[in-house]
Amino acid sequence: MKRLFEFIGFEPGRFHARWISGSEAQKVVETAKKVTEEVRALGPNKKMRDDRC
Amino acid sequence: MRKGYILKDKLFPWLEAIRAKYPLIAPVQEDGLSLFKEVEKVSDIVLDYGITRMPPKDLFFPQTEKMFRIKNKNNMAVELETPEKITDEQVLFGVHSCDLKSILALDPVFTTRFPDRYYQERRDKTYVIGLSCQKALPTCFCTAYGITPTAYEGADLHLTELGDKYLVEVVTERGERLVAAVPGVVFEGTESLEAEKEKLTAKVAAEIKPVDITGVKEVLDANFELPLWEKWAQKCLGCGICTYVCPTCHCFDINDFNRGDGVGERFRCWDSCMFSDFTRMAGGHNPRPSKKERVRNRFMHKLKYHLDRYNLVGCVGCGRCVQRCPENIDIRAIISDIKGGV
Amino acid sequence: MLKEKIKSTVSSLLENKQVDFVIGYGAGSDAGTVRPTFVKAVEEVQELIWSPFAVNNLAKYVMDHLYENIKIGVIVKGCDSRSVVRLVQDKVFPRENFYVIGVPCKGILDKNKVARDFDLSGEFVDFVEQGDNVVVKTTKGDITIPREKYLMDKCYRCETPTPVVYDVLLGEEIAPFRRDNYEDVKNLESLSVEEKSKYWDKQFEKCIRCYACRNVCSACNCRDCVFDMAEPNWVGKAANLSENTAFHLIRAWHVAGRCVDCGECSRVCPMGIPVNTLNRKLIKDMKELFSVETPGKNPEQGAVLGSFRTDDPEEFM
Repeated sequence: MKRLFEFIGFEPGRFHARWISGSEAQKVVETAKKVTEEVRALGPNKKMRDDRC
Repeated sequence: MRKGYILKDKLFPWLEAIRAKYPLIAPVQEDGLSLFKEVEKVSDIVLDYGITRMPPKDLFFPQTEKMFRIKNKNNMAVELETPEKITDEQVLFGVHSCDLKSILALDPVFTTRFPDRYYQERRDKTYVIGLSCQKALPTCFCTAYGITPTAYEGADLHLTELGDKYLVEVVTERGERLVAAVPGVVFEGTESLEAEKEKLTAKVAAEIKPVDITGVKEVLDANFELPLWEKWAQKCLGCGICTYVCPTCHCFDINDFNRGDGVGERFRCWDSCMFSDFTRMAGGHNPRPSKKERVRNRFMHKLKYHLDRYNLVGCVGCGRCVQRCPENIDIRAIISDIKGGV
Repeated sequence: MLKEKIKSTVSSLLENKQVDFVIGYGAGSDAGTVRPTFVKAVEEVQELIWSPFAVNNLAKYVMDHLYENIKIGVIVKGCDSRSVVRLVQDKVFPRENFYVIGVPCKGILDKNKVARDFDLSGEFVDFVEQGDNVVVKTTKGDITIPREKYLMDKCYRCETPTPVVYDVLLGEEIAPFRRDNYEDVKNLESLSVEEKSKYWDKQFEKCIRCYACRNVCSACNCRDCVFDMAEPNWVGKAANLSENTAFHLIRAWHVAGRCVDCGECSRVCPMGIPVNTLNRKLIKDMKELFSVETPGKNPEQGAVLGSFRTDDPEEFM
């Protein structure tokens, strides 16, 4: 999925996919933090915005 | 009807003067496709474009059109904001005679029994400038329906390139308003041009592969079941290409878009009778369950129902469906099969 | 002569009641266009032709006869034969209900390319191969076309000139002689993020949501398509850039691992959107990640995204 998103022009870092088991609480926290940081650094997303109404 | 002319080398300056006053939508080339688009530079306009990939119906009946905005007031009520203005005045330039006729075919659908505010306002505020054809494509057959390559019906002003001049026919009162608002048309000395126009009409019409529709409606009036429908339906993919490139097709769906936070809009969008779910009803029943019923419906509409309802042809012979159907379903061949009683 | 072989093969299939009907090509509106033709009686066989423009993939038409338990003959080229594999593997249509008439093919002429330089407006009469040329006889005269210059783009990278499945092969097997290097995909991959975004935005803006790409695709064989759902409305019907992008991405993902790269989606698009490039990007990536072949090329290869190997890459861990 990531590759196709990037192929049509989403910045790398917009989309993350991670396999996390329910018992890997630490991994959830780390991933959430990482994704938040990376996406925030990219700024507002400009693609596939449906700005109707 | 008043007639005048513009010298060929004065055409683009006149169009530029129009563009300075109104949004000007004209045929351009984009990515190898001919399309009607709003132009920023009149030099982008392509005059010898053959046929546009998409018809001009989008100007009056957009592919997707907002109807009104919806806002949740509280759990019990919504606020509807209908737009005060649908469009500003605009000029549509360069429409060939088949497409001009198609606008006339759409008018009664949206303005008579069920007046449609959105269509009507766009129609009232658009000045349509037609442009006669200088050549016919192998897929053209406007003449089958009594339309000529230089016909002005449907235009407010109609231009025909003849030698070093464009003959300008002022067809409607709206056309008069436009020539008054944007001077440039010379109103004298057009007598010889009219004879030349006749010659051009005959020349281009002769290039058209003849299609004879006499008797077709009568066969369809008398027969709902014909073996040819199954034969042609088998080839059909059930996509929407023919209906979407067709200048007279006008079916639409209405849907709501919910932004998620209590705000949304109701919009309408093109729909196609060729889609399998087009006539599917709540409860699941579908009176046109197979491609045969849907294909039959489409051609009956083009060749009979539109005539029955509005006394206007449902097909204008533009040939776009013939060009674009992925499996080469050709209405001319269907007409021939109908005549042959297949 | 291929046309004669086709006619005699089909006639004998019909006479021996080995099939209920056969799907082949008939003459179309002009010399460069063919039309899918359905033949169920021997008298109708004379409508069948072969043409250097016979581009349409006929395999998917069997989906109009899903629960009838009849046998259908289909004429296929190399690319089309992969669609047969697709339909069989997806359990849409049983292999034993197909009678596959394979035609080895070195490439199909692109009528749009040919029409720029030659007059195809007459009716198709016949054609003959003359060395490197194809001579097409039309009612408006003969046209001599240098074959290699006017093929469909997809033909220049065809790796299966001989159908991968067939019940009868009408001609000599052609060993693969072209390679697919995914140049079209690589060219786009090499653009910057901005350029990629602009390119695809421009393409998806054109989309009129006619669903021809979906309807012609043999990997799009769901009974109820996600895009036809009103409740829930997964992708709205409005034709704006965002919804159009969603449609194309979702369709690419839904056929990922099953698309056989037959190229029909790009051919049928009325707005010239290179739909197939999205699918080919996924095929290229899958080949790199999982060392598989193009789906449908090898009937023994299982579902790419439906099988698991312990050495599969795990970038998401």
